Amino acid sequence: MHAIRASVALVAAAAAVLTSACAPSATPVTTGGSAAPAAAGEKTVLTLGSWRTEDLAMWEDEILPAFEKSHPTIDVKFAATNTNEYNAAIQSQVDGGTGPDLITCRPYDVNRSWIKKGYFEKLDGKPMLDAFEPLALDPWSDDAGSRYCLPTAAVLAGFYYNKGIFAELGLRVPTTQAEFLDVLKKIKDDGRYTPLAVGSSESWQLAYNGLYSIGPVYWKGEEGRQGLIKGTKKVTDPDFQKAFDAFAAWKPYLPKGFESLKYPDMTQLFTLGKAAILPDGSWNINQVAVDGLDVGVFGPPADVAGGERYLQEMPDMAIGISAASTNKAAAEEFLAWTATPEFLELYVNKLPGFFSMAKQPVTYTNTLAQSFADLKNGAKLTPRLGLDRLSAGTPPFDDEVWRVLQLMLNEDLSTRQATEELQKGLSSWYTPQQ
Amino acid sequence: MTPVPGPDNGPGTSLRSERHVLNRAHYRYFLAFTLPALAVYVVFAALPLVNSIWYSLYDTDSGVARFVGLENYVYLFTNPTTSERFWNALTNNLEFFAIHLVVEVPLGLLLAALLTSGRLRRSTGLYRTLLFIPTTLSVVIVGFVWRLIINPLWGLIDFPLLGDERTALPTLSLMSVWQYVGIPMIFLYAALLAVPGDVLEAARVEGAGAWSTFWRVKFPLIAPQFGLIAILTYIWTFNGFDLVFALNGSAPGPNYSTDILGTLFYRTFFGSSGQLSDLDLGATVASVIFLIILVVTAAYFGLLHRRLRSYEL
Repeated sequence: MHAIRASVALVAAAAAVLTSACAPSATPVTTGGSAAPAAAGEKTVLTLGSWRTEDLAMWEDEILPAFEKSHPTIDVKFAATNTNEYNAAIQSQVDGGTGPDLITCRPYDVNRSWIKKGYFEKLDGKPMLDAFEPLALDPWSDDAGSRYCLPTAAVLAGFYYNKGIFAELGLRVPTTQAEFLDVLKKIKDDGRYTPLAVGSSESWQLAYNGLYSIGPVYWKGEEGRQGLIKGTKKVTDPDFQKAFDAFAAWKPYLPKGFESLKYPDMTQLFTLGKAAILPDGSWNINQVAVDGLDVGVFGPPADVAGGERYLQEMPDMAIGISAASTNKAAAEEFLAWTATPEFLELYVNKLPGFFSMAKQPVTYTNTLAQSFADLKNGAKLTPRLGLDRLSAGTPPFDDEVWRVLQLMLNEDLSTRQATEELQKGLSSWYTPQQ
Repeated sequence: MTPVPGPDNGPGTSLRSERHVLNRAHYRYFLAFTLPALAVYVVFAALPLVNSIWYSLYDTDSGVARFVGLENYVYLFTNPTTSERFWNALTNNLEFFAIHLVVEVPLGLLLAALLTSGRLRRSTGLYRTLLFIPTTLSVVIVGFVWRLIINPLWGLIDFPLLGDERTALPTLSLMSVWQYVGIPMIFLYAALLAVPGDVLEAARVEGAGAWSTFWRVKFPLIAPQFGLIAILTYIWTFNGFDLVFALNGSAPGPNYSTDILGTLFYRTFFGSSGQLSDLDLGATVASVIFLIILVVTAAYFGLLHRRLRSYEL
């Protein structure tokens, strides 16, 4: 009995001591960086934190050697964390003083909260910013418009189509919503192919590759998006309702049992040649063209013939310099290099489906990627509707959009109910909408 | 059968002091053998737990930790959105647990009874292995295989079981039951094997059939196992996360109908695409899960387990 009592006391004492040592740190970030400043003749070691574990080989074997060739005194290490745990990992690393010198930046709200916490070095006035349009820099800026990260790549959304099926049925690539619905109807009437390879089991892609892709035509891209952010427009406005209606019009053209089809099922349905059209993101380029399928891509249809075209360009990642880095000069050198065509062309061609956000056009060796990039010409670009500011509270607007779109397909939730629910959620916490 | 340890009734003082020495040596061994495990347990299990509770009392959203007492808990239970998600996850978790209890345990009993019935003769070992194999598989494999089997496009069933709010959670729970039915089976199998043969022989001599032998002799002898299986299932299902996450990700749909406490915690702590990660609210959810498990487990051991009486043989 004594023994037990003693061990209990021991556990309690040990716990007390260690807990006080591990209590949430209240000290601001002072230490950091992974290496001491380089002595003469020694290499400066930089770490680049990223969530893309799958890109490790590409960075280590192709990109970083290219940089180190022209910058022999700098040695960059690519340090990736699992995508889902990246945000929490960076937060605990930086708060604990062990963060990387270069931090890969998530777009919008996550980055804004990191800017507020003082994670980044300000980039204002640096010449490397000139390579980008303001729209490309905005996702990584604070409320006052100061810049903190340099854009690396964006992803686009559009419609992949099976050229064979289109030729067989004598279909032309649709340019307006009416033509789009007509094409879908013809494929359905023919009966051999599923018109749209869409499943609703994974709700994120209903928003990202569905509504956020076809909707900007109706809410007029940035005009509608900024209107929601500033509070001058509401989700229940007719413009937004029209967008949700256009999404609901997909329902008759979905495959059997779409409610439980996952994203890989959708891709498979398309690559097996059983479906004609796949609304998808540019990141899936390699998967849809597998098996030598003849695939083309078209952008979201315009409202009427000759109407304005819109395209979703979603800023995906940027890189910023950690405020706690002890090698800021070297980090800046690296960052400036990522704005050069040398880096961008290397990067986007190693990762087909990712697109440069720089002003200067980049040549894509992948033909499907090039035709995706061509869709940008003459189209107004806009990012995903729900990710900027509107999802920084509870309930997050974006998550709610996923949910109601799924309900619209699965349970026949009406456009009016869906938009009202979204507006109610937004008004409950987002001050400009109150 | 076993001697009952009672107050010291040894005959002489010399023996008593000898026992005292033995006890002290015993105590030293006790420490030597338990301390390493205790240290590991404290550092890797007890401490993070205490630390997480500690964390839930702070607000770290601004980058600077600020003590806020129970504010995170108040927020979790009163904010309309977070509380709705929490109660939804808790209800789903209870359903997840109930399905396991109602389906897995009787099924485990049935399989254990069949394995020990002698009817399988020499293939008992084969069946025992086959039935236990799913338990050793990775949940990712189990989820993937089952998703293909019930895929409405190329599977056996036309109905989108995982896509319908009403059937998604029961379907998922049954997949999990299929995987883990080996656990109660092996517990009960071991208990049934421990039933002494002379008791069964006596029952047979008295004219009891297989049915009444099972229910009136074997079952009462293995009954205490059910309490243990139930509480283990409870702990396991309330810590559940992997199968749901593997199948449906961190915002498990449709319409959060398969969201359980584990995924709610993950979403809160690590964030999702549209949701910022909230470390202290995540710690709060974790602490609540811990309390839910602690209270029921403590109640079980404090109130129920003591009253379960094994039959002395």
